[in-house]
Amino acid sequence: MLHKIFIDPFVEMYMLPDFLLQVLWEGLVSGILYALIALGFVLIFRSSRIFNFAQGIMVVFSALTLVGLHAMGLPAWVSVGATLVVMYILAMTIERVVLRPLVGQPDIILFMATIGVTLFLIGLGEIIFGGENKVMITSELGIPTGAFELFPWGGFLILEQKDVTAVVVAGLLVAGLIAFLNYTRMGRAIRALGDDHQAALSVGISLQTIWVLVWFIAGIIALVTGIAWGARAGVSFALEVIAYKALPVLMLGGLESITGAIIGGLMIGMLEKLFEIYWGQPLLGGNTETWFAFMLALIVLLFRPQGLFGEKIIERV
Amino acid sequence: MKQFAKLAIATAVGVVMGTAAIADGLYAPNLAYRTGPFAATGIPLMNGQRDYIAMLNARDGGVGGIAIDFDECETGYSTAKGVECYEKTRGSAIVTQPWSTGITLQVLPKTNVDQIPILAPGYGFSPMADGRTFQWAFNAPSGYWDAADMIVQYLEGQGDLSGKEIAFLHLDHPYGKEPIPVFEAMAEAKGFDFNPIPVGLTEMQNQSAQWLQIRRTRPDYVVMWGWGAMNAGAITEAVKTRFPMENFVGVWWSGHDADLALVGDAGKGYKSISFSFPDMDAPVMADIRKHVVDTGLSLSNETEMQGVFYARGIVISMILVEGIKTAQDHFGTAEIDATQLRWGLENLNVTEERLAELGMSGMVPPFSTSCSNHTGHSGGWMLEWDGAAFAKVSDHLMPNVDGYAALAAEKAAEYAEANAPWPINEACEG
Repeated sequence: MLHKIFIDPFVEMYMLPDFLLQVLWEGLVSGILYALIALGFVLIFRSSRIFNFAQGIMVVFSALTLVGLHAMGLPAWVSVGATLVVMYILAMTIERVVLRPLVGQPDIILFMATIGVTLFLIGLGEIIFGGENKVMITSELGIPTGAFELFPWGGFLILEQKDVTAVVVAGLLVAGLIAFLNYTRMGRAIRALGDDHQAALSVGISLQTIWVLVWFIAGIIALVTGIAWGARAGVSFALEVIAYKALPVLMLGGLESITGAIIGGLMIGMLEKLFEIYWGQPLLGGNTETWFAFMLALIVLLFRPQGLFGEKIIERV
Repeated sequence: MKQFAKLAIATAVGVVMGTAAIADGLYAPNLAYRTGPFAATGIPLMNGQRDYIAMLNARDGGVGGIAIDFDECETGYSTAKGVECYEKTRGSAIVTQPWSTGITLQVLPKTNVDQIPILAPGYGFSPMADGRTFQWAFNAPSGYWDAADMIVQYLEGQGDLSGKEIAFLHLDHPYGKEPIPVFEAMAEAKGFDFNPIPVGLTEMQNQSAQWLQIRRTRPDYVVMWGWGAMNAGAITEAVKTRFPMENFVGVWWSGHDADLALVGDAGKGYKSISFSFPDMDAPVMADIRKHVVDTGLSLSNETEMQGVFYARGIVISMILVEGIKTAQDHFGTAEIDATQLRWGLENLNVTEERLAELGMSGMVPPFSTSCSNHTGHSGGWMLEWDGAAFAKVSDHLMPNVDGYAALAAEKAAEYAEANAPWPINEACEG
């Protein structure tokens, strides 16, 4: 048994490096997408201390809106623009109808409100778009659908072009987001609100404007995530389930850290694939991905309760 | 006081409406799922079921002169919600259509007490075929073990299976695990390797790890027991990993046109065993079009109606209706109760002639049930995706029921013992 745990996996990695690369690539793609979902959570949490349970359904809703608008006859990129308008209206509506009346309420109330938003969006989405699986308009958006076939070390490596595109777009989105948060007035306002609500309000930062903005940015991230996941296996309400995979990412990376969301997502994506392939399937019968990420996050929490990149909060009493 | 008055009015309205619903006809609830991760596969089935009943109500005034009150209770494929729906409907229902193996297993122990037949066509617990033990459960026209046997038979037809490997990609759920005992028994008897690969609920759309394993072990065949988003996830991954589609076979719940439409031509050669087949020229389809679609009563659409799942929904409602009709004829009353329907479902005789009368020739093989055989074991056809639709690529396959009869009897006995005291119908001889 010890041989199977400590020797065999590494021998296999050494003997089949092309397969190891394929495992790492698949982990990277999954990790990037987990990180994107986690980013949506982090942004909203940083600015408002709200754990947005609706992030998963926002992914589904934005992807369904995009596909639905295109099916109504709008050109693909016009549909993207129109979907962004819908996500902006959604952000405004959530701020005006759900969040504003609850300002000052305990965090748990706001969290429950986002569960309400989730249920509302599920119902609304099903009424408007139906529950059937839809085909993502991948090629209409100009996303290449072929594959790069490589032969490293005489082996075989497949890189789906849509996965490569997803990785590149996600990277650009994250870079843009970091630049926005660090070098623009609005971005700094979001960070200020995250650091200290009272102080931010006292210097004239509008809570309402910032909330609309962060929910809209979370909507943009949801749309990008929805396109990337939808291109892999269609758009359906099952996509919402994937959002649960962002929870261990947040536990691992910390609820407030953008860097944590990205690194946490990548770590979980790659480690869970490596564990599943080299230890889970041969020794535990497989399907370890359903619990591995949570176990990893729990182990991290034992040593760093605030997550790898979360802020250690010291409260003076 | 005002609140109390509102509550009283609401309660009174509810009671009146509830009574009206009961008085509307034979109450046949369907534990449907049009929402959640499994909605994509649930909707066409539920639409087919609903449209067939709506057609009968519109064309014939129901069955035997009494309308069927076909009501859906949404479960989202959640076992907990399914049990809730069962509790909600059991007061006046003549049948339970649980629509999930998980829900079936939860409701099964209650059937002897509540005395409402479970109708789970093509799903549920395979040993339910043993009518002596499971007096109130029916899974006609075919069960999962029949499907497993027919798939292996078909693969054997492609060449000797001895020394070959079959990977079993399945949903990590009671449904996905259901055929494992019979596959393992066949693997031992026929000398092939059987390698189960589970897919968790959160991994349905991200099966890269499972398909990396398939790439690593290079099985000769992949057999899939998938449902909902898992089907589309598996098919797209199979295309991506260049697995030969002609060696990829699914159970009947993994043969949904919309899932294959995602990959189109790349899915050519994928197969699915099926106990039903769509026929747009069948007289029953013309009647549904005339009485339901053209009158705006249908929730379906033209593309969906051409698919395998919509037609299967029609077949499933036909089985219920034939049970009702058989009971009505036997007991000489239109207003049958659950006990009488149980008798009807136990004495089904759906012959070629009867299928022709129903306008459904070729949409399901003929089958019959009996006191000891609650499945019917109709057999089915192997269907193949041709890039645009499924087509039959085999003759009528029949399961070798004798091959796993002993295992079924053993599992039924185990179940009865685990749920003791469990009544056995000793009067039932065959």
